[in-house]
Parts: sequence; C-alpha cells; structure tokens
Amino acid sequence: MALGELEREVMAQLWDAPEPLTVRQVHAGILAGRDLAYTTVMTVLDRLAKKKLVVRTTEDRAYKYAPAQSRAELTAALMFDALNGTPDQDAALAYFLGQLPPGAIQAALDATPKET
Amino acid sequence: MTALLLGALGLTLSLVVPGLLAPARWPDRAPVAAVLLWQALTLTAVLCALGVVLAAPEELTRAAGADHPWVVAALVFSLVVAATIVIRLLISLIKVSVRARARRERHRMLADLLDRAERHRELGGAEVRVLDGALPLAYCVPGREPRVVLSDAVLTILDREQVDAVLAHEQAHLRHKHELVMESFTAFYQAVPRPLRSRAPLDAVHLLLEMVADDAARRRTGPAPLRAALARLSDAVPLAEEAPADPAGESRRRRLDRLAGPAPRSTGLSALAGAAAVGLLVLPTVILIVPWLARALDAWPFRSL
Repeated sequence: MALGELEREVMAQLWDAPEPLTVRQVHAGILAGRDLAYTTVMTVLDRLAKKKLVVRTTEDRAYKYAPAQSRAELTAALMFDALNGTPDQDAALAYFLGQLPPGAIQAALDATPKET
Repeated sequence: MTALLLGALGLTLSLVVPGLLAPARWPDRAPVAAVLLWQALTLTAVLCALGVVLAAPEELTRAAGADHPWVVAALVFSLVVAATIVIRLLISLIKVSVRARARRERHRMLADLLDRAERHRELGGAEVRVLDGALPLAYCVPGREPRVVLSDAVLTILDREQVDAVLAHEQAHLRHKHELVMESFTAFYQAVPRPLRSRAPLDAVHLLLEMVADDAARRRTGPAPLRAALARLSDAVPLAEEAPADPAGESRRRRLDRLAGPAPRSTGLSALAGAAAVGLLVLPTVILIVPWLARALDAWPFRSL
C-alpha cells in the first residue's frame, strides 16, 4: 500500500477516535484483513508527528497519538489557504471554477460549524 | 529620437493599451489568442523599457559630442540599469514559482490526507479529492502531482453530468499548464514598482484562462452542464451578492453568456489577434532597435581602442 494512502487511513482513525490512540490501537484498526507491520504504523505516526499533524503524549508509560487539529478545522484551514492569496504575495495557489469575492469566502468559512 | 519613440511606445503599451484591452469584449470569442496578445504586450513593454535605458544615454552623449568624458560613464550606467531590470524580473519569476510550488506541495499533501476517498470512487480520475464541507468549492492544484479538489457540497448540489463538466474544466487548467501563464504575469506584476503596478492584465488573463478551460469542458460535455454548475456553485455561496462592486460577478456573467451561445467560431479573430501579438513583439525591435544598433556600433567609443 502506498505511504500516502496509509497516512490517510491513520489520520482517519485518529480523527474518528474520541480519544488519543496507541500505536497498537491504530494498527489493530487498520489491520482489518491486511498484512501490515506494527513498525510501519509506528513510522507513519512518526512522520505525521514530524509534519505536526499529530501530537504525541505519554500516558501510563505508553505513547498515545491524537490529531493536532480536528478534521473540520484542518479542512477549513486548507480551503482558506486555497482561497487566500493576493498577487502581492503569491501566485494563485489554485484555480476555482467560480471566482468568488473574498469577503463571501471568509464569511462562509466562519459560518462553517467546527466540531470540537 | 529612437529613445523617445521607444519610450512613447512603451508607455502606450503599459498605460494606454491595457486600459483599452481589459474592458474589450472581443477576447471572449478568442481567449487563447487574447492571452497571447497580453503576453506580447507585456513582453514588448519590457523590451521598450530596456531599449530606452540603453538608447537614451548614447543619444544624449552623441548630441553633446562623442568625446565628452561622460560617454563611458553614461553607457556603463545604462547597462547597469538594464541589467537591474532584467535581474529584477528573473528574481521575481523564480521567487513566485518557488513559493507557489512549496505551497501547492503542502496543499496537495493535506488534501490527500483529508480526502474522503469513498465518496468519489465512481467519479474516476486518480487526481480527484473530495473534502468535507458545506461550502461548495471546486478547484485544481497544479504541479507535478496535480489534484482536482471538490468539496462534499459540490457532490450534493450538482448532478453527475455537472460534476463531470466541472472536472473537465479543472483538468483543462492542469493539462494546459495555465499556472505557468499566471505565474509569469504575477511575477511581472510584483517586479513593477508599486506606484506603477496594475492588476488589469493579471485579472484579464485570469478570466481568459477560465474561458479557455470552459471551452475545453464544453467540448467534452457540452455547454449546458457547465453553465448550470457555474450558476449553482456561485448561487450557493452565502453573502456573495453583498460584496461591494463585485468584479467576480461581472466575470461570471461573461462566462455564463459565452456558454449560453453557440461555441465561438472565430478563426479570423484569433488569427488577427495572434498576428497583432507577433507584430507587437517584432515591430519595435526591428524598426527601432536595429537602426539604433547600427548607428551605435559606428559610434561605439571603444572601437578605436
């Protein structure tokens, strides 16, 4: 399985979990009929931590991992990043189907409900 | 005289012509050729600026007498200024493209992580990603590994045919590497000193590229689904109509109008605009620089050394 695909599945697990997970829990969740090494999951979690996408805490002498931001927060940040940008700073990051007025975008993003 | 002519041409091209070209409606019928014309316009204005810088001191000192001690200093100075212009443009271009690549790379990584893969299995297209979100957004992130990103809301408010039209539009941006065109115009915009900057070329070219992508999508799915998708996506965004003096609304109307009519058949218009673009690039160089070069070589102060 491609590393990117694996990272996506690990993040999905962490986002869906109500509390921080251990490597073993993540491994068990992903395993579901697949032959995947425990150490691979550990490496993936390590990479995600380096990218500051997950935070690692120690609890009962075991490492636990939690997403740094909720899925909704990260999605909102990503969309804002795509919409943001004036030519004074950067070339447009992305090309939108409809060109939207920036004020409307900010307002719509603020209105997006954020889960906690 | 040459410097004056070049200066007049350069000022006309950078101050007067964009003001005429930006509000014109004929480019809607020949967007590709119009983009070429904008590129030629910008490049020619730069060439004129370089020409003025290089020609003016030579002409002034020739008028003052060839043996004047300022001749060499003036020539060196003009070469430095010309080099500054070129280097400033190049640095701006490199900066813009490096930054855009870094931002897009990170954006792609996050979009891959947030992807709801199960929601677009039947859409096809390995580069498609679907994000959660009530805000209907459809965009593409260009690059070596390009992505087309849709928000969940797009899939709920558009039917399958309309989604396909949206994908065709975004894939056309990616296939034709429109980001390189936009990056070059952004780099030029940033390299121009602030008081002289104008967004007109940037915005005009952006709209034209949207039209080019619209035409590509129209060829694949017909105009109706894309038109419906465009109208729906913009209507679904709250507060859009409250934005003051909304230029995006105007450009959306122009795109909708184009999609309402038959596909533009404008070979003549395209050829004309293309010829104008080539003419712009070639004419000032040939007519103004070549005679100046011939004379300047004759009067070159180092020749006798």
